[in-house]
Amino acid sequence: MSKLIIMADGTCDLTKELTEEYGVVTVPGHLVFPGGKEYRETLTWDAVPRDEFYADLKKRPDEYATAPANVEEFYLAMEPYAAEGDDMIVCTISAAMSGAYNFALQAKEKICRKYPVKVQIIDSMRFGPGFGLMVLYAAKKRNEGLGFDEVTGWLEENKNRFHQAGWLDDLSFVAKKGRLTHAKAFFGALAGIKPIGEFDYNGMTTVIGKAKGAKKAYAALLSYIEGTIEDPSEQIIFIAQTNRLPQAEEFKKLIEEKFKPKAIYIKDVFPSCGINVGPGLMAAYYVGRPISKDLGFERELLNKYLEAKE
Amino acid sequence: MSNIKINGVQLEKMLKNGLNNLLSHKDEVNKLNVFPVPDGDTGTNMSLTLSHGLNSAASRQEAGPYLKAVSDGMLLGARGNSGVILSQLFKGLYTELARAGVITPALFRNALIRAYKTAYASVVHPVEGTILTVAREGIEHIRTQVTRRTTIEEFLAMYAAEMRKSLSFTPELLPVLKESGVIDSGAYGYILIFEGMLDQLYGKLHQAQEPDEAVTMSASQPPIDASYFNENSAFEEGYCMEFILQLMKGEKYTQRFILKSYIEDLKLYGTSIVVVQDGRRIKVHIHTFIPAKIITLSQEFGEFLTFKLENMQLQHNEAFASAKGEKKALTVIAAVNGEGMEKVFRELGCDVVINSSGAANASTEDFIRALGAVNAEKVVVLPNNKNVVMAAEQAARLAEAKNVEVLPTKSPAEGYFAAAMDIQDSDDVEMRVKQMRAGMKSTVTLTESVATKDYENGVTSCKAGEEIVLVNGELTAASTDWCDCLINGLKAVPGIEDVESCVIFKGESASDEQEAILAGRLSECFPLLEATFVYGGQSVYRFIIGISE
Repeated sequence: MSKLIIMADGTCDLTKELTEEYGVVTVPGHLVFPGGKEYRETLTWDAVPRDEFYADLKKRPDEYATAPANVEEFYLAMEPYAAEGDDMIVCTISAAMSGAYNFALQAKEKICRKYPVKVQIIDSMRFGPGFGLMVLYAAKKRNEGLGFDEVTGWLEENKNRFHQAGWLDDLSFVAKKGRLTHAKAFFGALAGIKPIGEFDYNGMTTVIGKAKGAKKAYAALLSYIEGTIEDPSEQIIFIAQTNRLPQAEEFKKLIEEKFKPKAIYIKDVFPSCGINVGPGLMAAYYVGRPISKDLGFERELLNKYLEAKE
Repeated sequence: MSNIKINGVQLEKMLKNGLNNLLSHKDEVNKLNVFPVPDGDTGTNMSLTLSHGLNSAASRQEAGPYLKAVSDGMLLGARGNSGVILSQLFKGLYTELARAGVITPALFRNALIRAYKTAYASVVHPVEGTILTVAREGIEHIRTQVTRRTTIEEFLAMYAAEMRKSLSFTPELLPVLKESGVIDSGAYGYILIFEGMLDQLYGKLHQAQEPDEAVTMSASQPPIDASYFNENSAFEEGYCMEFILQLMKGEKYTQRFILKSYIEDLKLYGTSIVVVQDGRRIKVHIHTFIPAKIITLSQEFGEFLTFKLENMQLQHNEAFASAKGEKKALTVIAAVNGEGMEKVFRELGCDVVINSSGAANASTEDFIRALGAVNAEKVVVLPNNKNVVMAAEQAARLAEAKNVEVLPTKSPAEGYFAAAMDIQDSDDVEMRVKQMRAGMKSTVTLTESVATKDYENGVTSCKAGEEIVLVNGELTAASTDWCDCLINGLKAVPGIEDVESCVIFKGESASDEQEAILAGRLSECFPLLEATFVYGGQSVYRFIIGISE
């Protein structure tokens, strides 16, 4: 009997345990490390430990690069399932940040010309753990018995409800690599100031507020999550960190106490995303109310709690 | 010889002698610093302000119009707080004398009263024991003694003597002066100007001195973008020429230089002509299409000391292009000193960065030029130096058409946190200004340098040559070791144990090794404090630390 395959590109940052538990197929992209050496993403730290990687990335960001899996690689990943007659939902990192979506689309056309299967490519409009969380939900829906049309429909309807609540305290990476909406000049180091970013309608991140120091940021973020999350006790929450593990652990504790979610994981950001985000990411990902088009509601809500008093 | 009145030409000579007197005492005035830090620049700032006024005024018979031109030039060229107050004193002087062809002692008295009143009104919180007090007491104590028989010499001698007396009392009025054993530097500079004016009448001429470089330097102008002029461009604006000509001796040169006929000749080739003769040097500004003619004409008399030629079409096209550019909701202008700081503020996202490199502070004119170049609904100015705040505020008043707000950032650290808290990608102007204000607020600035003299402020004392740390401008720690000194300074900051982060600007004199030493000591003494080092390249302070909670 044919199956429904949930596939995602390698920037979903889902570890082997999670992909096996939920049944997700990943299509890893490419990494270029200093010296021009090229690797295929493994979604492990087998090659180089996390702390070492981020420390070196901070030192020489320009010597690292990423590339998504190409058309052929997507095709090769899809073909064995197509040959079995399996339908596929392929989720990709935000098309605003990467060419993965287009490559997957081209691969789909080749597949569909050759095999009588249904393939849907979904632009997640998210990156890293936000994207990964969406893929996990898709797999969960599929595992609950939803079919191809129902899962793709659910994704299209709900992808705008995947939130990011956290900070990126080193904006130089996203500014340089063009992964931030309106990134004009944010190359400067921000001593202690935590820019708080939320996903926007462009499929990127917009800074909606700034907090002086981590303590103020945690407090405002918890209130922000409270104002945007839906059914927290039913949720799987991801906390992503590139090189901010102590802060992520603190944030996890605070979220657990306040929202008692069904599950909460601290997730590493692997090099495919990490190279473009840099070492300063620490954010929670969850499902909540749809994000407004101009982020007006979100800004107002957050700044109410940040209390940028004069 | 004594004068019962003076006209514009005499006034010009007197003011020039006043400036020269100030310039010859400039270093002495600079050293009259309240704090034991080698950053005193009152003498420099006052002389730059006055010389800008004198350079921008053409000679006139009538005293009033001449003084107006001087005053206008000073308002624009004002640098530092003392320069701004000096420019306001002169604004008061000319306001009273606007219609006077000649100045009598009685008119002079009235004008000097108007002068101090204007200066007091321009300061939000006037402080006694400063230039304001001296200018006020100097005239108030002698106002009744001016009679019909009083000569200008007698009047100025009384005024200067009375101001000297007042100056000697400034430490009694202003405790910080007494603590550091100095008199007020701005007041002293002001007296030197009037004493020089009096000396001129007695025939005692002070040697002409070159004012600091900064007068002619236009460090704040952004580099010209040559892409606005190409082989297909129209050329309708001509060139702007500026040069100083040294009149020469020798057979090659025409020996008789007659200013009037030289100007007549220049008129054949150009417009917007300003020519100022200073002894054997001629300063010329002219707009022309045929620079070669002017060069040939001028070389009949001498050789060029300096020479500047700018394509005005290029400037015109560039200005036109930027004016056509989309109007921004908010533009942020930051004033800095040095390339390191310029880079820091550019990277933080400030739209315009005025870099008055060298020792000088940004002038009112620098701000006005920057304000003229931006196209925005609202402009926020970050002066980033307590001695630049007033020049920025004066510019904001003069550029009244624009919606300008000066956030009085008193140090680069305050400016840094203001800019860092800004959310540049938002169109919500009110929110952005609020963010910046929140960034500036509750910022603590520590500066580390070497003491220039013995000093004590009731809490801490230092000896000349010791390493010292000022916290928000107050001496807080002194030691023979710079790093101990910084650590002790930090320990004195209330609530430091809970502070999560700080920014550290590395100065010109700070080595990488010293950075490593400081970083090590910080993590030892304040394990929770995360330090971000950036290269500021500032000259006086080895390190500037900013904390904002």
